[in-house]
Amino acid sequence: MIRLSQSQRSGLVGAALLAAVLVVIGVATLYFGSRYQIRLVYSAYVNLIVVLGLQVFMGNARITNLSHSAFMGIGAYAAALCVTPENIKKISLPAAPWGLADFSLDPVLSAAIAIVITAVLAFLLGLFIVRLTSIGATIVTLAVLVIVHAVFLYRTDIFKGNQAFFGIPQVFDLGWVVGIAILAVVVCRLFRESRWGIQLRASADDEVGAAAMGVQIYKLRLIAWVLGAVILAVAGICYAYFLGTISARPFYFNHVFLTLAMLILGGMRTVTGAVLGTFLISFGLEGVRYLETGPVLLGIDLPEALGLSGIALGAVIVLTMALRPTGIMGNREIETLFVRKTF
Amino acid sequence: MTPARPLIDEGRASQADRMLTIQDLHVFHGPIEAVHGISLNVERGKCISLLGPNGAGKTSTISAITGIARATGSIRFEDREISADSVEARIASGIAVSPEGRRIFSNLTILENLTLGAALQRDQAEKGRDIDHWFSLFPILAERRDQAAGTLSGGEQQMLAIARALMARPKILLLDEPSLGLAPKIVRQIFDLIGTLKDKGMTILLVEQNATQALKLADYAYLMSSGRIVAHGTADELGKSDKLMAELTGVA
Repeated sequence: MIRLSQSQRSGLVGAALLAAVLVVIGVATLYFGSRYQIRLVYSAYVNLIVVLGLQVFMGNARITNLSHSAFMGIGAYAAALCVTPENIKKISLPAAPWGLADFSLDPVLSAAIAIVITAVLAFLLGLFIVRLTSIGATIVTLAVLVIVHAVFLYRTDIFKGNQAFFGIPQVFDLGWVVGIAILAVVVCRLFRESRWGIQLRASADDEVGAAAMGVQIYKLRLIAWVLGAVILAVAGICYAYFLGTISARPFYFNHVFLTLAMLILGGMRTVTGAVLGTFLISFGLEGVRYLETGPVLLGIDLPEALGLSGIALGAVIVLTMALRPTGIMGNREIETLFVRKTF
Repeated sequence: MTPARPLIDEGRASQADRMLTIQDLHVFHGPIEAVHGISLNVERGKCISLLGPNGAGKTSTISAITGIARATGSIRFEDREISADSVEARIASGIAVSPEGRRIFSNLTILENLTLGAALQRDQAEKGRDIDHWFSLFPILAERRDQAAGTLSGGEQQMLAIARALMARPKILLLDEPSLGLAPKIVRQIFDLIGTLKDKGMTILLVEQNATQALKLADYAYLMSSGRIVAHGTADELGKSDKLMAELTGVA
């Protein structure tokens, strides 16, 4: 049996509080939401899992990662290739190499294979990335994003590029993604408060000091990197299993930028920050999209303002970095808001 | 393994008392040699002080003992050659350090900083008991256990750095300039604390520029200058050789 440390036990309290919030939002949407709203909230939960996967590495090692959407895409495509029925693949991927169109597996096995493939790729790449300085690592992750996107786009015989990869069984509903998001929150909190998580955060504060305490920085970065990639793969699978169609575009710059803004706004150092930032931006953007259409507000006929959501995301990043660089939550997790303030 | 070679300071201590023995230690920072072949002994239960001005090679010596600086020569700990061991292995065998400039992790809570000191302690219950023990000795840290360590004052940060080192349950405690940058009143508090630890039987290697305070505590002292040991003796002997002391550390 795994014995949990003091910090991990308080981490579980925090995770339970966040889980309660996630359940309430999910249940309310399920009972009162329209089809469109359910879709919207589902995508917010998928983005939450992405932001959590990003937080594991970026928040603990404090190295900016820009390749997360690519890993989400790898997970989504790998699962889609396994799970899509043969007869559909024969039509949509007539030129598929290596017999990719000649088999299909059940959703659970497909998801497991997708997770393993993503984890192995992340591990091999991670061997290089964890040894780089933070700026070097960030530039390499950017290159990875571009490379993976190019592969999705131009290996049309496997990934169909910008065309829809269709026929994925739609096995997930909102309940599934809420459950998986809660699981991701628990995993992220337990990792953050674990011996490894604390050591990794220490190395982000003072690399030399941490090394003197016997912290094996490269090893810990690699663990966080691979764990993050696994969570990102799960997000990709949730995306594919709900929509039934995927294409290369959603796993590129726009999505990187969106999820990065979520993490930065909420605060990358905490899991609470990841959850808060995701919901603030997901719901905030819906409001902005409404404004984009040029509605009549308080008797004023507003002009159409296309592109407003992009500007709003940029503004969120700039303002957060300028006014509160550690995000809304800073170093504080949700449960510490309920104990006596010592500051 | 290096065979037992003749030690300096023959007759000062019997073999059994020697906890840490360093012979002909050269320490390098990249291509630059910072320490040019020093030898020293730390006996069990004693407080040994390493004195000297800035740039004498004191911190380099500590870094070589903890294993974060490249070094040649022999470092024997409890009759075992450790100079090829990893940092982790040295911590595991009982060497802990409160580094120069304290190097506490400012974004981590005080509790998390302490946990880091016990990185090799797998038993959570034992770890919890150790934390409670040190919190009872440092009530000021206990009050702020969930606060970011960066919010502590300099003296409190030094206490945290010492407590963090003690969390590893070391056999020898290396203290690198614990008085650096602290107000005189706080310096006295820190030295009182070191005195308490010594009275409880802790073996201490104390690196200091503040020779007056350090010699009050130390049983034996080495004086370093430009990467060499230029004098050594009991605290009384070294304290009285005031010419050398005055020259190197400004203590008349």
